[in-house]
Amino acid sequence: MLMLSQIFDATLETLYMLLLSGFLATFLGIPLGVGLYLCSRSRGLKGLYALLDLLVNIFRSIPFIILVLLLIPVTKRVMGTIIGPNAAIFNLTIAAIPFMARLSENSFNGVPSGIIDSSNSMGLNRWQMVTRVLIPETLPDQIGNVTVLLINLVTYTAIAGAVGAGGLGQLAINYGYYRFQWDVVLYAVIVLVAISQLLQFTGGKLAKRLRK
Amino acid sequence: MSLSVEEGEIVGIVGLSGAGKTSLLRTLNLLQPVDSGSIFFDGLDIVGLKESEVRNVRKKIGVVFQSFNLYRYRTLYQNIAFPLKIQGVSKKEVEERVMNIATELGLEHRLRAYPSQLSGGEQQRAAIARALVMDPKMILLDEPTSALDPKTTCRLLDLVVSLNEKHGITFVVVTHDMDVIKRTCDRVAYLQNGKLDFFGPTHEFFVKIENNEVSDFGKPLELEKGLLSANKKILRVLFWGTRTHEPVLWKIAKENDVMINILYGKIEEFKNGPFGTLIIGVEGEKQDLFVEKLRESVFFLEEVC
Repeated sequence: MLMLSQIFDATLETLYMLLLSGFLATFLGIPLGVGLYLCSRSRGLKGLYALLDLLVNIFRSIPFIILVLLLIPVTKRVMGTIIGPNAAIFNLTIAAIPFMARLSENSFNGVPSGIIDSSNSMGLNRWQMVTRVLIPETLPDQIGNVTVLLINLVTYTAIAGAVGAGGLGQLAINYGYYRFQWDVVLYAVIVLVAISQLLQFTGGKLAKRLRK
Repeated sequence: MSLSVEEGEIVGIVGLSGAGKTSLLRTLNLLQPVDSGSIFFDGLDIVGLKESEVRNVRKKIGVVFQSFNLYRYRTLYQNIAFPLKIQGVSKKEVEERVMNIATELGLEHRLRAYPSQLSGGEQQRAAIARALVMDPKMILLDEPTSALDPKTTCRLLDLVVSLNEKHGITFVVVTHDMDVIKRTCDRVAYLQNGKLDFFGPTHEFFVKIENNEVSDFGKPLELEKGLLSANKKILRVLFWGTRTHEPVLWKIAKENDVMINILYGKIEEFKNGPFGTLIIGVEGEKQDLFVEKLRESVFFLEEVC
């Protein structure tokens, strides 16, 4: 059946966008989160914190579909195209970095101040503080954060599908919505839900295993 | 405020909540920024040092916090090894030192446990082990007994004294537990509203408490009015040091032929010697002479009436 293979291809496309943008957002968002955290705690950098904080807020408050439209010139410049999964990955990553930064900043803020104090008392420098204390002490939380991020990205990929990103979102809109093939919509939704459930389950298990 | 801590001594910082004890402790390794003044450590003024130099000073000062602050997702072994690992000490040496210290503190069988699996006393000792592993000159203890039961407290105090005697480590202890002061401290700093009200030997601090000059730690014993009578003197006598165990009272009473009646008495073992408190009634013709003689032989004497 044609439809099945189409759903299969669309699922792969969705997963590709999801995992790559999730990966990029994690490894760019967490350092930004570290930056936010360190700036907020250092007397001399309060101004920089206010600026970063504002930028993160602005990017987070623009609805994703609008952000995609606003980014069109940038996407075209950077990726060479504005349609297809790769262009979507750029958009998704831009939207997800501030989200991840904020989530990880919150987790860093949750590290008990006593642990920070005792680490300072041992004479740790800033780099050791980040790599040996902040990241390890928030690891289970960060796994939870990545889970939330990926599940958010699942819906974002579907939204991106409406403007030519490909994947399950585009399939559901092109075949289901425009051609009234509601079964396609249904299958797409089932797959999206299944992906979300799987992510939540795996993330939850992993975080629980790390939490002692 | 000015106070000095000598190498190898144990100094207690006491005072009510909010008196500034913990703040004082936190300034000692500059966790709390200092606006003005100087703090000398090993002859070096650490106020105004560069950040990297401050870090080097901190490595010589161990801190054990009230809430222990062990790393939550590291095993006990990893927690104790942590300060060495960040200094790049070789794996073999780390293992040797961690094992030595864990054995000394009786933690060797718990090394694979995570902090959440340890008891309060074990967490406390783990925090001490983590401070000790750096071979510090000084250890700061913040309210070390506030989370411990009496038996564990007892063990902890023995441990502190033995570490002090065996390794010559200087301790500064913030506490409001009088047992900690009595059993471990050579000297006491008493803070009131952020000011240093008293700084001196432990027994002198307790004389102050007995004399009601420090009211933060409970009132001294009050006598019933019925005990007092015209032809009797009531004396409060404090002994300290080796004399505490001598029959001073008996001797002087016999020489002066007075009758004494013990109304209240206790002897406590302080770190720097036994400390005795006695309230006696004296009756006899030569009672004034008795008081005079006794005053010469005891640490402190006061006529209650």
